[in-house]
Amino acid sequence: MIRHQIYAVSALILTVALTVAAADTRLSSGQITSSLAAVSENPRLDLTAAQMRQAVLDNIRDYPGQIPPHLLSFPQLASLAQLTVEINFDFNSASIRPESYRDVGAIADALHNPLLLGYGFLVIGHTDSVGGRAYNVGLSQRRAEAIVAALVDPFAVNPGVLQPVGMGEEQLQDPKHPTSGVNRRVQLINVGKKFCFGRSGEQFVCQ
Amino acid sequence: MNTIAIKLASSILALFLLTCTIGPSIAQTLSYADAIEQLAGACGADLRKYCKGVELGGGRLKACLDANQARMSPSCQQARMLVYASIARRAAAQRDIGDICSADIARMCGTSHADAHLVECLQGVSPAAMSPACNQAFTDTGWRTERAQQ
Repeated sequence: MIRHQIYAVSALILTVALTVAAADTRLSSGQITSSLAAVSENPRLDLTAAQMRQAVLDNIRDYPGQIPPHLLSFPQLASLAQLTVEINFDFNSASIRPESYRDVGAIADALHNPLLLGYGFLVIGHTDSVGGRAYNVGLSQRRAEAIVAALVDPFAVNPGVLQPVGMGEEQLQDPKHPTSGVNRRVQLINVGKKFCFGRSGEQFVCQ
Repeated sequence: MNTIAIKLASSILALFLLTCTIGPSIAQTLSYADAIEQLAGACGADLRKYCKGVELGGGRLKACLDANQARMSPSCQQARMLVYASIARRAAAQRDIGDICSADIARMCGTSHADAHLVECLQGVSPAAMSPACNQAFTDTGWRTERAQQ
């Protein structure tokens, strides 16, 4: 009950902040493209989405507690071109709120930019610390999948280049304020070339 | 009778206004961000009423808009048609440009690959020198004005 009230207040503040921000600094597909294209030749990533999901579960088992006493990190990802976006979802739901539709569309525009064509991306969902840690892993996985689903249909991004991963609250952005809105975010990471293109534009796995 | 006439007249007016505001952009397709923002704007109240909690992805939002279209406001109905048509046209152009422009590419570009180089090449070709189909497809991709950033 109290949590719901706190959430309602913080959601309100977030909304106001977003409205103000939207007036002058709207997320543009050009910015997203630049961020994600920053590293043109990524080394082949030696880490799968399945391994990341397992590492999340291991972190919860090895470091129990209401709030993660140890934050998970993946050093392999640190040097890769990436971008963090705040996408608003309905409470406890994987349904993207309409005020965030534009940002999802802008991500789609960037992923369709010729500079990023054929690259693979991790789409990593993060929650704040409200709710159980295991539950949040599932919630963030469903949210990451919802973003991938929207990028694929209606926005026609090739599903073969997107890999959703739910990180739960195991990588809090602001561990000192674990319930803060900045923790609820989606991270896009360019994991390198996935597809090349043939003479008439057909895609194939590059090698 | 009169009410129907007024309703009809106002629908035509709404259609006309929408064609004026969205129409010219449709000629070169909307970015996905602009398209979905227009939909969220024109259909905001209807979405809250009829499609609350419906997911954007997986075709769910469109299915909800389609199922409830008779109850939606005229501006939402119009936006729904124009926006999804624009998205489909841009997506088809981005998917098929390699095929549609294959002869143009072979003639004018050193590369034939549907990647950044192809777009850079097509950006350097005057529209008049392209086949009309390739020219239209390139416009529809939204890439003609995309800045070459690298």
